[in-house]
Amino acid sequence: MSLRLLPPNLVNQIAAGEVVERPAAVVKELVENALDAGAGRIEVAIRDGGRSLISVTDDGHGMSPDDLGLAIQRHATSKLPGDDLTHIGTLGFRGEALPSIGAVSRLTITSRPAGADSAWTISVEGGQVADPQPAAHPSGTRVEVRDLFYATPARLKFLKSERAEQGHVSDVLNRLAMAHPAVAFRLTGDRERALIDLPAETASLEGGDESLRLARLGRIMGREFRENALAINAVREALCLTGHIGVPTFNRGNAQHQYLFVNGRPVRDKLLFGAVRGAYQDFLARDRHPLVALFLDLPPEQVDVNVHPAKTEVRFRDAGLVRGLIVSALKHALAEAGHRASTTVSQGALGAFRSGTGGGYGNYQPPPPMPGHLAEASNAWQAPNAGYQPGFAETARPTAPAGASETGDADAANYPLGAARAQVHETYVVAQTEDGLVIVDQHAAHERLVYERMKAALANGGVATQMLLLPEVVELDEPAAARLAARAPELAELGLMIEPFGASAVIVRETPALLGETAVQSLLRDLADELAEMGEAFSLKEKLEEVCGTMACHGSIRAGRRLNVHEMDALLRQMEATPHSGQCNHGRPTYVELKLKDIERLFGRR
Amino acid sequence: MKLTIERAAILKSLAHVQSVVERRNAIPILSNVLIEADGGDMSLSATDMDIDIVDRTPADVQQEGAVTAPVHTLYDIVRKLPDGSQVELSLEGEGGQVELRSGRSNFSLQSLPKDDFPAIGSEDLSNEFTLPAGELRQLVDRTRFAISTEETRYYLNGIYLHAAEADGVKLLRAVATDGHRLARIEMPLPQGAENIPGVIVPRKAVNELRRLIDESSDDVKISLTENKIRFSFGSVILTSKLIDGTFPDYDRVIPTGNDKTLDVDSKVFRNAVDRVSTISTEKSRAIKLTMSEGSLSLAATSPDAGSASEDLEVGYTADGLEIGFNSRYLLDIANQIEGDSMQFVLADAASPTIIKDVADSAALYVLMPMRV
Ligand SMILES: Nc1ncnc2c1ncn2[C@@H]1O[C@H](COP(=O)(O)OP(=O)(O)OP(=O)(O)O)[C@@H](O)[C@H]1O
Ligand SMILES: [Mg+2]
Repeated sequence: MSLRLLPPNLVNQIAAGEVVERPAAVVKELVENALDAGAGRIEVAIRDGGRSLISVTDDGHGMSPDDLGLAIQRHATSKLPGDDLTHIGTLGFRGEALPSIGAVSRLTITSRPAGADSAWTISVEGGQVADPQPAAHPSGTRVEVRDLFYATPARLKFLKSERAEQGHVSDVLNRLAMAHPAVAFRLTGDRERALIDLPAETASLEGGDESLRLARLGRIMGREFRENALAINAVREALCLTGHIGVPTFNRGNAQHQYLFVNGRPVRDKLLFGAVRGAYQDFLARDRHPLVALFLDLPPEQVDVNVHPAKTEVRFRDAGLVRGLIVSALKHALAEAGHRASTTVSQGALGAFRSGTGGGYGNYQPPPPMPGHLAEASNAWQAPNAGYQPGFAETARPTAPAGASETGDADAANYPLGAARAQVHETYVVAQTEDGLVIVDQHAAHERLVYERMKAALANGGVATQMLLLPEVVELDEPAAARLAARAPELAELGLMIEPFGASAVIVRETPALLGETAVQSLLRDLADELAEMGEAFSLKEKLEEVCGTMACHGSIRAGRRLNVHEMDALLRQMEATPHSGQCNHGRPTYVELKLKDIERLFGRR
Repeated sequence: MKLTIERAAILKSLAHVQSVVERRNAIPILSNVLIEADGGDMSLSATDMDIDIVDRTPADVQQEGAVTAPVHTLYDIVRKLPDGSQVELSLEGEGGQVELRSGRSNFSLQSLPKDDFPAIGSEDLSNEFTLPAGELRQLVDRTRFAISTEETRYYLNGIYLHAAEADGVKLLRAVATDGHRLARIEMPLPQGAENIPGVIVPRKAVNELRRLIDESSDDVKISLTENKIRFSFGSVILTSKLIDGTFPDYDRVIPTGNDKTLDVDSKVFRNAVDRVSTISTEKSRAIKLTMSEGSLSLAATSPDAGSASEDLEVGYTADGLEIGFNSRYLLDIANQIEGDSMQFVLADAASPTIIKDVADSAALYVLMPMRV
């Protein structure tokens, strides 16, 4: 066997394997180029899920005929002015995308530089470049990729169904669109069907950039997200975190709707996801996930984006700082939101009332249907309410009489959750507020109160620990042991005392008494893994909180217990005084609120 | 096979063997009991592959032979038969049905081939010695409560039985620990046990053993090798595999330099701990002991329930000390103390404490404090 240098075409095909693994990756590279070129409007068309055609048209600054020739050569880029990979301010920087795409498809680029009076086109087929030709094109660039992977049939085989590939393309485009609200985006599929159509957002007078972005997020993540979003705005040193996060009761069964951006670049980074999970962990069950869109901006030299061929992973110079910023900013926003539960909850309830009355009330207009992927959350809340519908009037026998004399001291106007008026089905407390009514799930609410009290006790009194007669040595690998040792003080606060034991082990001397006789080895391994993956020690807290949670569940008022009006008012007042009381330990709401105007709408008065 | 036996006799025999059989079994034959009739005896064998129990009892054997039958069903049937009735067991033809007749009741039970039943080892185990049932009961009772239930440290899931020597006296020792507390009991080494290897008897075998001891007042013959232990009580023989692991060097965690002694009336102490711990948090069960000249005060607090305290007059002359314990652990140990007074030997709030029954020097308990 003899050594030889690979011919350039083969090199490009190999590079293409990393850069473009599917149509969505091509779209991503081309749209990023358009964004780097300062486009205000980007149109993407795909056919057959991107297999037979991907075209991206922009109105950016375009390329001259000379640039066109250079653009399709490897490592030709206009985006690294100095020779410094630590100062990357554009989405592209490698000069790798176009030649890679050209190596595995039939590529045509047509471009007219801003201000020039003619356009030129250049084409590459299987790596063979033809000379630039004059062409007709408005100012800007159009890149056409035909017959993707025709030259590499093996890769063609790995493509999924057209639908699936089209889904990936939409996802990529949506993510880029979130980060660039001032740019208009359009995606059309087979037969010119518009899949995405996002006008350029224009800033409203009051809102500035934030409203611009929230408007764009609302178009992509749904109106409910916009209505249930808390704004994030936090700065720490040179880091700046902005964006919007959903209130905890507005949640999903998977983490797909968590969008994270670093310097305008969509990323899927475990550390960032871990920080989000950490911030929400008090509010959501393990299998529920919040919706978030977070934008982290930091000086380019503090983050390495050149870690992953598709640039979806990043490496931070100070990961701890980033994590700390995210966790504290999100927790702060969630705490400020207090007992606010999502509006989809009451909307869902409202929907149930509506369907029960069976239509026929004047000129009432049903609200526009929710986008398919958002329907899930609200449907879930309709279910329990649906049972009410038939004969609400007969079955609802209030167990506490309503009347000013009985309600005692609580004055509706003075309290956010109002004055208790009745208990129905020995399960729900109905209260009247200044401008509506509140229905409280007594078990869920009380469970949360007990849980919060226990957590406060844990935090104040410290965690009682059982010292070990036989301290346990846990063998790990060196980095894992070092990671655990570095977080020892934090773990000690939770009642787990560890010390380094040689280079690749730790010794456990005390464990939280709440856990009883616990499997120390597996707990420590889980913790080490989590620290590595997400920078957070979840399992210990989760274990402790699980115990608190079960205890809270046992120690709280059940459904079916009759409450008198004083007990009900006391419950409402405690909820108001307790942070995070708007959702139970599993992320379900503890109460729903109906505004008077919603009730009026139910009766067609509005 | 065909035999007749009195209901009380077969009930007792089944009671001896049935509990070793798990309620759910992946291997069907393990749900069955092997019934053998030979000479004038009926012998029942049951196994879970780790523990075998064989019980032999006289019966009127009309035809020798062997058969298997589902043990829990058989036990339930026999329990429900009227007292004093006769039970006839037989295998009809080759069909594999066991017939049980008693008075006017007839049962036909599904059987499995007797040859599928695992062989119960009856080989001789090299070390053999005898203990009076009462002493064996002590060994088990004084240690059993401290056996670990946490399965990753499997080598703590049993009682460590071994020969030791202290101050020139040869001893037989039983030790159990769950990593939070430790119990050790010792007795003069019986003849024949001089060369026994240290073995860990698994928890399930300990529990079976404890049940069987209750019915025996005689000596129990114990024989063992490195992998197996056998307890023979007259008609019942229990054989168990041993835990294949190394028991930690427990001597190292028994402190020798503790200098503060606390003498308490064991009943008074037990009851006081029980009362005060009503308040301590459900899961952590912490209780605080504060000692000063001649007095001990017990205290517990819980954010939910409030607080409790109780003062006791005790024998204590050392410097004041405040130390926390898991009240359940304290009660477990106090429950083992039969004498009138118990003694704590302490060092400080972060070191192991020794607890002893003043009237019984054979048992020793070590308890690790809590930080509260
Ligand atoms: N739509 C466009 N409008 C204007 N110039 C473009 C456009 N697309 C590509 N170019 C030019 O072609 C060059 C090569 O593009 P290519 O995508 O291959 O590399 P890059 O964007 O510099 O780096 P990367 O490989 O990281 O994407 C760019 O540096 C840019 O100058
Ligand atoms: Mg590029």
